[in-house]
Amino acid sequence: MDAHIKKVYVPMTETGFYILLCLQKEMHGYSIVRKVDRLTGGDVVLSPGTMYGSLSKMEKDGLIRFVREEEKRKLYVITDLGQQVLDLEKGRIERLYRTMKEEEAE
Amino acid sequence: MKKQVRWFDITQYQKEEEYLRSMHKKGYKFVKVTGIGMYHFEACKPEDVVYQLDYNQDGIEHKQEYIQMFEDCGWRYLQDYAGYSYFCKPVSEMKGEESIFCDVDSRMEMLRRVFRGRVLPLICLFLCCVIPQILFRLDAARRGHGLERFSFGIVFAVFVVYLLVFIRFAFGFAKLKKQWGR
Repeated sequence: MDAHIKKVYVPMTETGFYILLCLQKEMHGYSIVRKVDRLTGGDVVLSPGTMYGSLSKMEKDGLIRFVREEEKRKLYVITDLGQQVLDLEKGRIERLYRTMKEEEAE
Repeated sequence: MKKQVRWFDITQYQKEEEYLRSMHKKGYKFVKVTGIGMYHFEACKPEDVVYQLDYNQDGIEHKQEYIQMFEDCGWRYLQDYAGYSYFCKPVSEMKGEESIFCDVDSRMEMLRRVFRGRVLPLICLFLCCVIPQILFRLDAARRGHGLERFSFGIVFAVFVVYLLVFIRFAFGFAKLKKQWGR
């Protein structure tokens, strides 16, 4: 993973994280919006300008790749590089959560 | 049909959005913008409708998929104008206050696209045409009279206008960044 990717995506935005998390399965932008809405009980509502911009940027940076088109909607899936970034981010969030709990327990 | 002329520079797109929203609240629905800032409206029932502008060249190139993304989220596509795409959505169809951007990073990213698409070409023109012309004509104006001085004056005026525009953009961008806490 080169320095540029690390600088831009670690740590990543909530939007970026949910996109990569969802794209472990092949999906299009709007199905990500709906899934995130469901997963977070409506707390995180992704907006179309943010989604479109993030998806094209992530595709350009090689974190996700275009699979095919279905009724004018582009389907994407995570790449190996994207998975590495996601795993890094998961590790960071786990550490945050762990230390938070340890602090609370003291 | 009602027409109004309004000018917004590239750092004032939020003002433009507010303008369109306030017109709709007063019972004038935005139809299109043409030429140099001619806004067309038609009379309608007053309603609170949010208007939003995006600047995305990739979106304009892949128009169908781009618009589909917005329509899936309930935003109606209106038109493209000078690289911007116009969208609207009635407040009555929203859950709380909605925007086409949900985080500061993507707002900043749009600003970067505007800078690359609109400001960078101006800077190139300034450095490659206006500055060399100034230097070239300055020399001629020093030695010559009348016509040489006049043509130097014209180029110098262009130079000043460019500078003022750049200063305005710099302040406008700084203001937006401050507003977003960056």
